[in-house]
Amino acid sequence: MAAHVLRLRLALLFGALRGDAGHVVRVVLGLIALVVATAAACWALLTMRDASTDAVRTVTVLGGSAVTLGFALAPLIGALDDPLDPRRFALFGLSRGRLAGVLAVAGLISVPILALLAVGVCAAIMWADHGVPIAVGIVSIVLGILTCSLLARVCGALASLFLRERRSRELSGVFVLVVLVVVVPVGVFLASLEWRGAVPSQLLQAVDALALTPFGAAWALPGAVGAGRAVWPVALVAVATIVALSLLWLWGVRRLLTTTERPGTGRERAGLGWFGVAPGTPGGAIAARSLVYWFGDRRYVVNALVIPVAAAITTVPLLIAGVPPEIVALVPVPFAALFLGWLPHDDVAYDSTAIWMHISGGVRGVSDRVGRLVPVLLVGVPLLAVAVPVATSLHGRWAILPALTGVCAVLFLSGLGLSSISSVVAPYAVSRPGESPFQQPQRTSAGGAVAQGLVMVGVLVLSAPVVWCGWLALQGDAEAATTALWGGLAIGLGVLVVGVVIGSIAFERRGARLMEFAEST
Amino acid sequence: MTASLPVPNDIDPEEPDRHSSARVVRITDSVPQPSDKPRRPARAPRQGGKSAPRKKRATAAPVDPGPPPPLPSDLEIAASVAASIVVPPRPPLPAPALDAVAGPEPVAVAAPEPVAVAEPEPVAVVEPEPVTVAEPLPAVVPALAPPAAPVAEPVLAPPVAEEPEPDATPGEPASTNESLAVPTLPAATGDALVLRGVTKRFGSTHAVDGIDLTVPAGTFYGLVGPNGAGKTTTLSMIAGLLEPDRGTIQVAGVDAATHPLAAKKLMGVLPDRLRTFDRLTGRQLLYYYGVLRGLPPAVVESRTADLARAFDLQDALGRSVSDYSAGMLKKVMLAGALIHSPRLLVLDEPFEAVDPVSSAIILDILSAYVAHGGTVILSSHGMELVQRVCTRVAVIVAGQVLAEGTVDEVRGELTLEQRFVELAGGLSDVEGLEWLHTFSG
Repeated sequence: MAAHVLRLRLALLFGALRGDAGHVVRVVLGLIALVVATAAACWALLTMRDASTDAVRTVTVLGGSAVTLGFALAPLIGALDDPLDPRRFALFGLSRGRLAGVLAVAGLISVPILALLAVGVCAAIMWADHGVPIAVGIVSIVLGILTCSLLARVCGALASLFLRERRSRELSGVFVLVVLVVVVPVGVFLASLEWRGAVPSQLLQAVDALALTPFGAAWALPGAVGAGRAVWPVALVAVATIVALSLLWLWGVRRLLTTTERPGTGRERAGLGWFGVAPGTPGGAIAARSLVYWFGDRRYVVNALVIPVAAAITTVPLLIAGVPPEIVALVPVPFAALFLGWLPHDDVAYDSTAIWMHISGGVRGVSDRVGRLVPVLLVGVPLLAVAVPVATSLHGRWAILPALTGVCAVLFLSGLGLSSISSVVAPYAVSRPGESPFQQPQRTSAGGAVAQGLVMVGVLVLSAPVVWCGWLALQGDAEAATTALWGGLAIGLGVLVVGVVIGSIAFERRGARLMEFAEST
Repeated sequence: MTASLPVPNDIDPEEPDRHSSARVVRITDSVPQPSDKPRRPARAPRQGGKSAPRKKRATAAPVDPGPPPPLPSDLEIAASVAASIVVPPRPPLPAPALDAVAGPEPVAVAAPEPVAVAEPEPVAVVEPEPVTVAEPLPAVVPALAPPAAPVAEPVLAPPVAEEPEPDATPGEPASTNESLAVPTLPAATGDALVLRGVTKRFGSTHAVDGIDLTVPAGTFYGLVGPNGAGKTTTLSMIAGLLEPDRGTIQVAGVDAATHPLAAKKLMGVLPDRLRTFDRLTGRQLLYYYGVLRGLPPAVVESRTADLARAFDLQDALGRSVSDYSAGMLKKVMLAGALIHSPRLLVLDEPFEAVDPVSSAIILDILSAYVAHGGTVILSSHGMELVQRVCTRVAVIVAGQVLAEGTVDEVRGELTLEQRFVELAGGLSDVEGLEWLHTFSG
C-alpha cells in the first residue's frame, strides 16, 4: 500500500505540470522562483562559515522558526484542497494507523520539503565548519523536516475539520492581513536594531527563547552544541514536538475517517462571500455587506486610495520648507490615521435609499454602527500597524514609537467615534450607487461641508492633548511618549465607544428622517 | 380551507368593545364578501367607532346562534358572482352564510343587522363554508351601492370584526386553529393594522390627509388611487420608513410610534422605487434580509433555497442583483420580505413589471399566506387584479380615503375600474389638444 500511495504522490507532483498552457507557465514560474530563492538561501548560509557562532545561531533559529511557522500557516490560509486528505482514502478500508503513517511519509515528498532539505544540508555543512559534529547537523535536519511536514499535515487536517465550511477567498485574505500585521512590524524592528557587527543582546534573548519552542527547537540543536549551551532541553523539546504532532496526526486521521463532512453547509455557504465569513448576526451581516461595498464599489475604493496619496503629499511642502527629513518622516502616518477615521463620516449616505432595509428590518443601532466600522478597521489597523514602525524606523529613534502609536490611535479611533455620530445625524448627498465617484451631486445647503469640517475639527480638538505629548516626546521627553501611548489609546477608545453609543441611539430614533434624506437626494 | 374559518369571535375577553362592534359590522361585511379570501370579517361600514359598536353588540349577542341558512336568491347571485370572482387559493368562509342574511338589509343599516351573523360564524365551523361562498355575493351588491356614496364616511370607519383568527394563525399556520375549525378569537388579534387620522405633509402639500384604515387580520387588502394620491406615502408610514406628522398606526396591536422595533418585526416590506444593495448577489441579498431580521444563518439558507424555488430564482441567485431585470428584482425583494414569515406584508406595487406567470405564482403564494392567517396590504394600479384578489379595498384620492370596504361594496354595480375612475374625478373631456390631431408631417 505504501508503495501505491507514494507512487500516487509522485504522480500528483508531476501532474501539476500538466494542464493548459497558462497553468503550466504559472507552475513553472513558481518553481523557478522557489529554486532561485532556495539557491540564494543556500549560498547565503554557506557564506556564513566565517561569521560568529552567535550570528549563525541567530540566523538558523530565526529562519528555521519562520519556515516552520509557514508550514503551519500555509494549509490554514491557503484554500487549496489537500490531495492527501485522509478522507479521500476512507473508502479503501485501510487500517487507520497504517494510513496515518503512509500519508505522513508521503507528505515528505513535496516541493517545499525538498527545498527545505537543500537549505538544511547547507546549514549542516556550515555548522560543521563551526566545529559541530556532522551527526548533530543531520539529526537537526531530520527533526526539523519531520516537524515541518507533520505540522503541515496536522494543520491541513484541522483546517479540513473546522475551517472547510468557512473557507473562502475572503477568509484567506483576512489571514494574510493578520500575518502581515505581525510580520512587518517585527521585520522592521529587526532591521532597525543596531547590529554593528555583533548580534544585539535583545535578539539573542529572543533566540534563546525560540530555541525552546516547538518551532525553533529542531533548528537550534547545532547552535546549542556550537555555542556550548545546554543541549538536552532543546533536544527534548524537538523530540517531544514530533511525538505530540504524531499523536495529533493519528487523532486527526481518526477524526477525519470517522466523521463526515457537511456537504450541505459547504455548498450553501459557497457564494456568500464575506457573508460566509462574518458571524450570522445583524451586525456581522452589515459588516459583510460593507466589506462587499468597500472592496467593490468605486466610490469607496477611490476614497480609500486617496488617503495614502494625500498623506504622502503632505510631506512635500514640509521638505521644501526645510523641515528635517527625520521629522517629516513622522508626518504622513498621523495624517493617514486622521483621514482613515474620518472616512466613514458619511457612510449612510452611500447606501442611498437602500438604507430602508436597515430601517424596516428593525436593526439595532449598535449593529448598524459597529458593522459599518468593520471595513475601516480591517483596512486601517493593518495599514497603521505597518506604517507606524516603518515611519519610526525612517525617523531613526525607536523611543518615539509609543508616542507615534498613541497619536495615530487617538486620531483614528476618535475619528471613527465622531464619524459614527455624524453619519446618522448629518448625512449629506454623495454620488449615487453606480455613478462615478468624481461626479458630485448638487448640494443645496452647506450642511455637508459643516459635517465634514466638524468631524475633522472635533477629532483634532480631542486629540490635542495626545498630540502635545507626542510633540514633547519628539523633543526627547521619554516619559511623554508613554503618556501619549496610553492617553491616546484611552481617549481614542473612549470617544469610539461614546460615539457608537450616541450614533446607535440616533440611528434608532432618526430612522424616518434618514429615509426622507435618502429619498430627497 | 381551514384558513378560511375566521370567524371566531365569540368572546372578546380582552377587548369587549371592539369585538362586539366588530362583530356587528362584520356581519354586514361578511355578507358581501363573495370572494373567499380567508376572512373578510371586517368590513362594516361603520364609522362609528367604539360607541356605536357597543350598541350593536348588545343586539347582536342574542342573534348569534343563528347562522342562518342562506337565502335562495342569494345563492343564485352568489353563484354568478362567484363565477366572476376567482378565488383560487382558499375555500370560502363560513361567515358568508350569515352575510347572506345581512345582505338584504345591506347598506347603511348594515351595522345593526349584521350583528347576529358575525358571531355565528365561529359556530359554523368548517363545514358551513362551502355554502357561504355563494351567498355572500348577493348581499354584497346591495350593500355596495350605498357605500358608493361619495362621502368617505360610510366606508371608512369600520373597526369591525377583524379579530378572527388571523392573529392567532399568524405567520405560520397554527395547527390548533385548524383542528378547531374555528379559530381562536384573538382578542388581541383583531386588526392586523389600524391607522387613525394619519397625516403626512411634505412642505405645504398634504401627501396624506387624515387617513383612517382598519385592516382585519387575514385579509388581502388593496390600496388603489391615482398617481400621487399618497399610496406610497401611506405604505411607507405603515412600514416605519416615514413618520406620520399626526395620527397613530398600530400593527397587530403594537403602537408603531412607541414600539417601532416590535412593530417592524411583524412586517415584511416591499417598497417601490427604493434601491436595494444591488452589488450583492441574489443569495447574499436574501441572506442579508434574513440575518438582518435576526434569523439564524442556517434557517436563512434553507429558506433562501425554498424561496428561490418558489419564485423561480434558482439560476439567478449567483448573479449580482444589479444585473436583474425589473421583474426579477421585484421577485427577489418580495422573497426577502417573506423570509422572516411576517404577520403583515406591506407591498407597494408588487406586480409592476412582473410577468404573468410570475404574478400568478406570487398571487398563489400570497393567497396561501392569507389563507393561513397572514395579512397583505398592497397598492396597485391593476384594478382588475385588485378586484380579483383583494377582499377589501380602499380608494385613496388626494391623500384621503374616498371609499373603503369589500370590493363589492366599493364597486357597487360597476367594475372596480369604473368606480375608481368615478371616484378619482372622472374622465374630464380633454380639450386644448386639437393641434395633436393636425399632423405636421
